[in-house]
Amino acid sequence: MTYPGILPNTADALAAPFWAATRQHRLVAQRCARCGRFRWTPSEVCPDCLETRAAWTPLSGRAVVWSLAVYRRAMHPAFKEAVPYTVAMLELPEGIRMLGMVGTSTGDADRDGEVRIGDEVAVDYLDIDDEITLVRWVPTATGHVGENE
Amino acid sequence: MRLSEPRIAIAGVGATAQGELPGRTANEIAVEAIELALADAGLTKQDVDGLITCRNLQAHTGIDEQIGELLGVTPRFGATLDYGTGNFSLHLAAMAIRTGMAETVVLAYGTNQRSAKADFGIAVGGGAEMASVAGVVHVAGRAALAFRRHQHLYGTTEEQLGWVSVAQREWAQRNPLAIFRTPLTIEDYLASEPLVAPLRRADLTMISDGGAAMIVTTAERARDLAKRPVYVDGMAQRTAFRADHDADSLMRPWLGRLADDLWSTSGYRPEDVDALYIQDATSVWVLQMLEWYGFAPLGQGGEFLASGATRPGGSLPVNTNGGQLSEAYMWGWLHLVEAVRQLRGEAGERQVSGAEVALDVSSHDFLKGAASILTTRP
Repeated sequence: MTYPGILPNTADALAAPFWAATRQHRLVAQRCARCGRFRWTPSEVCPDCLETRAAWTPLSGRAVVWSLAVYRRAMHPAFKEAVPYTVAMLELPEGIRMLGMVGTSTGDADRDGEVRIGDEVAVDYLDIDDEITLVRWVPTATGHVGENE
Repeated sequence: MRLSEPRIAIAGVGATAQGELPGRTANEIAVEAIELALADAGLTKQDVDGLITCRNLQAHTGIDEQIGELLGVTPRFGATLDYGTGNFSLHLAAMAIRTGMAETVVLAYGTNQRSAKADFGIAVGGGAEMASVAGVVHVAGRAALAFRRHQHLYGTTEEQLGWVSVAQREWAQRNPLAIFRTPLTIEDYLASEPLVAPLRRADLTMISDGGAAMIVTTAERARDLAKRPVYVDGMAQRTAFRADHDADSLMRPWLGRLADDLWSTSGYRPEDVDALYIQDATSVWVLQMLEWYGFAPLGQGGEFLASGATRPGGSLPVNTNGGQLSEAYMWGWLHLVEAVRQLRGEAGERQVSGAEVALDVSSHDFLKGAASILTTRP
């Protein structure tokens, strides 16, 4: 089966540790060696304190939906067989935001109502082949937790 | 209050046909636009001592070294900007003129991105691959995330947003240059299927080919030229270098700081503006910038749009050319061309009566914003 979407370049020097971790079903991000802030997306410098050193650190794997959108039409040919699918901007308790794909039973969160803004989601993993594992987010039993702000 | 001397003026504008221009290169289209702008100003290429071009994002074209060679000129000042929207080129031209490095600068942008089938699907900017892997491709995805957040925070409705596209289509029906002129009602809008919910086709720019150019010079020089000068009395920019995954890159509160700079350095106020031009890669940008520039309180842009204020006959005409949603995807350049034509009284059946002050606001790639106040006031 061909994966209907865009796959990462897991050899990319900056992001390789992230993809190596997802392969083991772990979610990690760089944590600055000086100021302790988390970085996302992977970066060679901390945008807060300009430190270069960082440690790849496990994340809780939980997030709150800040906003979401439903692709009913593929806006890139790679996703032609993937629609409908739902994407979200997620707020992580570690103080970073990630864009992510959210899995629901129909893929269309507007129709199945399984994810709304303020809902908690948890990380899940999609093994693509022997080298690549993608991150997916799924609704949790906790459901609506409101927002951080 | 003026930023500094000399006062800057737009002396000529040019726009090619828009839509599909098969078999033509982007640079050739830019040169045609330059010829039109020179003719508009009553100048020839020998009168120009500056050239500022705009690189095409999807191709290594639009470089001043390429267009200058086609144009056969040896200007004192030449530069290429890596981002569009016209405003940035206009500001660079003003800086070149004020430092004495040039007196009369031609600015141009040309593209054949529709005929060349350019790929707009992949996000650009920091974190682009992570966004694409998550399925967030095309500007529509991030615009939909931003709009749904706006809905959540302020109760904005899809119908309110729909008035952006409907009002601009009404204006486009009065503009012979516009590509999309078939009527669009709010009922048509609401009946259409979302592409990236909650956004519809009408909320998104359609890629097109075309060219635009402007002649920028000193107010003193402009007074001797063919057309009534349009003065540039306010300029401001802001760059918020952030990754795609940052909330500020979606809601863009930093545009409010850009607006503060614009109003405080120019002495103009929102109530001075007779016609407003907002670069509209998506309709969501119009909603956002109405608020950040102070034309509607934060969160009330939807109500403002639904009141009909931006439509023909409304209190604040917005994108009287039809904008990128209905006229053409010219990266904001045609907004400036239209503002100049409105201020000169050349806009035909879409003319805004007595228009003396126009504001053009634009943004690039979620991280750069720019604004210019144009006026015919002496």
